[in-house]
Amino acid sequence: MRMSKHQLAKSAGIRSETLDVWITQEWLVPDPTSGAAQFTDIDAARVRLILELKNDLGANDEGIAVILHLMDQLHGMRRALARMKEEMQRPPD
Amino acid sequence: MRNPYEVLGVAASASAAEIQSAYRKLAKKLHPDLNPGNKTAEDQFKEVASAYDLLSDAEKRKRFDDGEIDASGAERPHQQYYRDFASADHGNHYADMSGYADFMEGEDPFADLLRRSQHARANRRGQDMHYRLPIEFLESIAGANKRITLPDGSNLDVKIPAGLVDGQTLRLKGKGAPGTGKGGSGDALIEVEVLPDRRFTRDGDDISLEVPISLAEAVLGGKIPVLTPTGSVTMSVPKGSNTGTTLRLKGKGAPRRGGGHGDQFVRLKVVLPKPPDPELEAFVANWAKGKDFNPREERAS
Repeated sequence: MRMSKHQLAKSAGIRSETLDVWITQEWLVPDPTSGAAQFTDIDAARVRLILELKNDLGANDEGIAVILHLMDQLHGMRRALARMKEEMQRPPD
Repeated sequence: MRNPYEVLGVAASASAAEIQSAYRKLAKKLHPDLNPGNKTAEDQFKEVASAYDLLSDAEKRKRFDDGEIDASGAERPHQQYYRDFASADHGNHYADMSGYADFMEGEDPFADLLRRSQHARANRRGQDMHYRLPIEFLESIAGANKRITLPDGSNLDVKIPAGLVDGQTLRLKGKGAPGTGKGGSGDALIEVEVLPDRRFTRDGDDISLEVPISLAEAVLGGKIPVLTPTGSVTMSVPKGSNTGTTLRLKGKGAPRRGGGHGDQFVRLKVVLPKPPDPELEAFVANWAKGKDFNPREERAS
């Protein structure tokens, strides 16, 4: 589901100014090609994760930046592994 | 459903701060987004999160303590975590591949596989091109430099390593079709066919060759020229050699894995003069000892 910044902020129960800060810090990257509805479900889930890291796990802003960076690398790696598995199961052409 | 105090590992008398700190400690270990792909951690986290939901809410905690609700009253609704989106098949724009870029460099099969599987559509690597290259037997043993002319008129230089076997495939990195975008060129895969040689045969790292010798060379011994993969050499035939006598030229075979070379075996074959020589016939007819010798007798015993 696509949503605007305001919809995203509302669904997460935070202010849209907070999202502005997160976007500046590149914790969130809006999709510039789709007008006002720049966010999708993955962004909403990422917002929930940031809130959990902050509120429940006690990570501070510096810590969150580090966690997100490592997590993005981890997902990049998981993706590479998944693709590799696919490639290995594919009969050679 | 376990007792929420047990799940968090706190006493029933724990303060709100103690409960929060216990939860944080467990959540840091078990949070599904910190453990993508780990189902056990997810199940444990659910339990921990439910327990925390119940105990962090003073009112719910009191009702639980009074026995009004049980632990399952605080069960969490199903939540989709970030990882559920991040692991989506089409990937996500946050995912970052810098964490394994170093593994993609190099010539090893792992790097190759990683590169191939990384196929971002826009940056697709070029196709591998397949070629066949026939070479002479002796070239396969000693190695050679060959040139393939491609359909587009360009040339491809191929170094044949010494000791190559029939059907072996050589990979020339980046000599295949060009890729698109940042995708590099594919590889040229050259299947080498070793043409059979009427003279030589190969057995592992050793090669063998049959060489005809004259009756005189067989009886009296002598020096004869013998062809090897690295050129002609002179070999001594010992006195009294026979058809089937096999001599060894050390180190003239194919390179051995781990150093050194196999050997070349030379099988001698005695050939009588052609056409038949009357003098030889007359000599053998008068050669009494020759008639006494029966080679089949030896075999029978």
